[in-house]
Amino acid sequence: MSIFLIFLLVLVSKPVIAQEADTRSEIRELREKLERLERKLADDEAMREKKTADERAALTEKVKKDVMSEVSAKGQSYFSKLIDQTKIGAYGSMRYGTSNLDDLHNTFTFRRFVMTMDSPIYERLKAYMELEFERFTSLELDKKLTRTSGGGLTSEVALEGTAKSEISMEQVWMQYDIADWLKFRGGAVLVPLGRFNINHDDNHWDLPRRSLVDKGTPVLPTTAAWPELGAGFLGDIPIGNTGKLSYQAYVMNGVTLNSEVEQIGQTRAGDTTKLAYEVKLQPSRGTFSDDVKKGKAIGTRWAYSPWLGDEIGASLYWGRYTPDFLPSKPVFSFAIDGKKTLGPFEIEGQYVNTQWSGVRGVARGLAQRAISSSSEAEIGDVETEVEFELANLASRKQGYWVDFRYRFWPEFLSNTILGTHFANPQLIATLRAEQVWFSGLLNSIAFTSGELTDFRTENRLLNRLTLGLTYRPVPLVALQLAYEYTRTNRGKSLSSVTNFLPARDGEYFQNAVLMGLAFGF
Amino acid sequence: MLEKSLRLLCLVSGLVYPLLAIAQEGIFLKEPEAPKAVFSDATSFDRKEIRSTEELREKIRQRMGKTKTSLWEESYVTFIAKKGDTVLGYAVIVEEIGKHRPITFVVGVGSDRKIKDAALMVYREAYGGEVRDRRFLQQYKGKQLTDPLLPFRDIQNISGATLSVEAIGRGSKKALALVEVVFFEKAERQ
Repeated sequence: MSIFLIFLLVLVSKPVIAQEADTRSEIRELREKLERLERKLADDEAMREKKTADERAALTEKVKKDVMSEVSAKGQSYFSKLIDQTKIGAYGSMRYGTSNLDDLHNTFTFRRFVMTMDSPIYERLKAYMELEFERFTSLELDKKLTRTSGGGLTSEVALEGTAKSEISMEQVWMQYDIADWLKFRGGAVLVPLGRFNINHDDNHWDLPRRSLVDKGTPVLPTTAAWPELGAGFLGDIPIGNTGKLSYQAYVMNGVTLNSEVEQIGQTRAGDTTKLAYEVKLQPSRGTFSDDVKKGKAIGTRWAYSPWLGDEIGASLYWGRYTPDFLPSKPVFSFAIDGKKTLGPFEIEGQYVNTQWSGVRGVARGLAQRAISSSSEAEIGDVETEVEFELANLASRKQGYWVDFRYRFWPEFLSNTILGTHFANPQLIATLRAEQVWFSGLLNSIAFTSGELTDFRTENRLLNRLTLGLTYRPVPLVALQLAYEYTRTNRGKSLSSVTNFLPARDGEYFQNAVLMGLAFGF
Repeated sequence: MLEKSLRLLCLVSGLVYPLLAIAQEGIFLKEPEAPKAVFSDATSFDRKEIRSTEELREKIRQRMGKTKTSLWEESYVTFIAKKGDTVLGYAVIVEEIGKHRPITFVVGVGSDRKIKDAALMVYREAYGGEVRDRRFLQQYKGKQLTDPLLPFRDIQNISGATLSVEAIGRGSKKALALVEVVFFEKAERQ
C-alpha cells in the first residue's frame, strides 16, 4: 500500500516538478526581460538627459554667441560711426620776409601748423580740438643715469630742439547744445576778448602777419591765440527778421605772471666765462594744471549783427594776474570790435584797452620774495649770475587795428593760370592801420635785500601801416604779398615794444616786405 | 516754502522747456516737413523720387556750367507743390559737402524757374551753422540758374563759414538744374 502511495506520489509529482521548473524558468526570463527593460529605460533616460544637457549647452552657446556678435556688431558700428564722424582738418602758414633791421635776416618762417579735430559725440554733444606746432621742427629729450667710473652715479639730461619752437594746445573743449541760445562749453576755450582771438586761423586773414594788438605787442593780456581752461555758456538769439545777438561768457583760470627761465652760457674775450640764468616773470596764459592763484577770471563778449555782413561787439576780461606769492592784483581789459560790409568793400577793426593794476606793488612784492634781482659770483674763470625781472607789464596798454579791404576779380584773369581752374577766385587789396599806446610801460626794475631800488617806466607809441594784396584761388588758400612800415618813438628801440623785432638800440622803424602762404583743409 | 519752490520750479521749467525744444541742433527738418518749408502756401505735395542716372548727371552738369558739385546723390527726392490744381513749383532735397560733411537742404523752385525759398534740413559741421539762419537763406529767393550764387559775388558771405556758403550755392544750382531737366524741359517736350 505504501509502495503504491509512493508510486502514485511519484507519478503525480513528476509533472508538478516539471511545471514548477517551467514556472521558475519563465520567472527568470521575465526577470531578465524586466532587468533589460530597466536598463534600457535607464539608458534611454541617460541618453535623454545627455541630449537635453547637450541641447541646453548648445542653446546657451548659441545665445552667448548671438549676444556676443550683437554686442560686437553694435560696438563696432558705434566705433566705426564715431570714426566716420570724426573729422581731421588743419591750417598752416609760412612767410618769407625782408627787413631793414640789422639783426633780422631775409628769411622763410614757418609760422604755424595747427591740426584740428572735431567729433559729434552724440546728438547735441560735440568735441573740438586744435593742436598747434609753431615754428616747430623737432624736439628730442635724452636722459641717462649711469655709474661713474671709480664710484658714484652720473645723471645726464640732453635737450635738443629748434629755436622758438612751440607745441601748444590751442583749444580742447566739449560742447552741449541745449538750445541755439544756450550752449554749454567746457575745456580749453578761446577767451572771447575782441574778434581776432576767437577767429584767429591764419587762412582767414589776408595779411601775412597778425596784428600788434593781438600778437605783436600784445595789448591783449597775452598773445593770441589765447585759450584758458574754464567753462561757460554761449549762444545766438535772433532779433527780428535779420538781426542776431551772440554771446559767450566763461569763468576761467585766467592769465597769470609765469616764469620763463633763460639759460645763457657766454665766453667773453679778455673776461671770465659767464653762466647766467634770467628768470623773467611775464603775463602768460593760465595753467591747465592746478591754478597758481586763488581768484578766477571772467571773460565775456556780446555781439549784435543787425544784418548779414555787419557786426558790432563788446567784450571784457577781468581776473587776478598775480600768483599767490605776490600781492593780489587784477588785470582788466575791454574791447570794442566790428565789421561793416559795403558790397566789395569791408571795414573790420578792433580796439583793446588793458589795465594792469598795481605794477609797482607787484614789483615790490617780487623784491620781497626774490630778495635780490641780480646775484653773481665768480669761481675761477666762471662767473655765475642769476637775474629776476618783470616783463611785458604796463599800467595801461591800448590800441587798435583797422582793415580796409576791397575784393575784386578782373575778368581777363579768368582765362589765365590764376582763374582757369577755380570757380570763384578772389583778389583782395588790404590796408591795415594800427596804433598802440603804452602808459607806464615797465622798463626796468632792480631790488636788493628785499627792497625795490629801481623802478623805471616810460610812455611809448607804436604805429604800423600795412598794404597788402592777396590772391585766393579758393576760400581756404591765400597767397599774400605785403609791405609794412613799423615805427616807434624816435631814438627808441622797436624791440622793447614788440615781441618779434630784434631791433638794436635806436632802431625805431622797420620797412619790411612779406610774402605769405596760408592754407586750410 | 518747499511747495512754493516746487511751483516756481515747475513754472520756470514750463516756460523754458518750449524754448529749448524749439531749437534742435543737427536735424532741423524731416523729409515730410521739407516741401512745406519752401512752399508754405501749397495745399498738397506729390512726392516723386528720381534716380540719378549718368545721363541725368550729365544734363545737370551741363546746366551748372563752371559750378561743380561736390557729390552726386543716388536719387533725388522731389515734390510737386500744388495749390488746388495749380502747380506752384517743385521742391528738391539736395546734399553738398561743406568743409568735411554733407549739408542736406531743400530748395523750392517756382514755376517761373526762380528759387522760391531754401531751408536747411541737416547740418553736420562743427562750425558755420549760420547758413541755417533765415537772414542768410532769404538771399537765394529769386535767384536762377544763370546767377553765380557765389559768396562775394551775388551772395553775402558769412565770415568763417565760406565753404558752407559755397555749398549752399552749389546745391541750389544743382536743384535748379534738376528741376529744369526733369520738370520744365519734359513739360515743354510734351
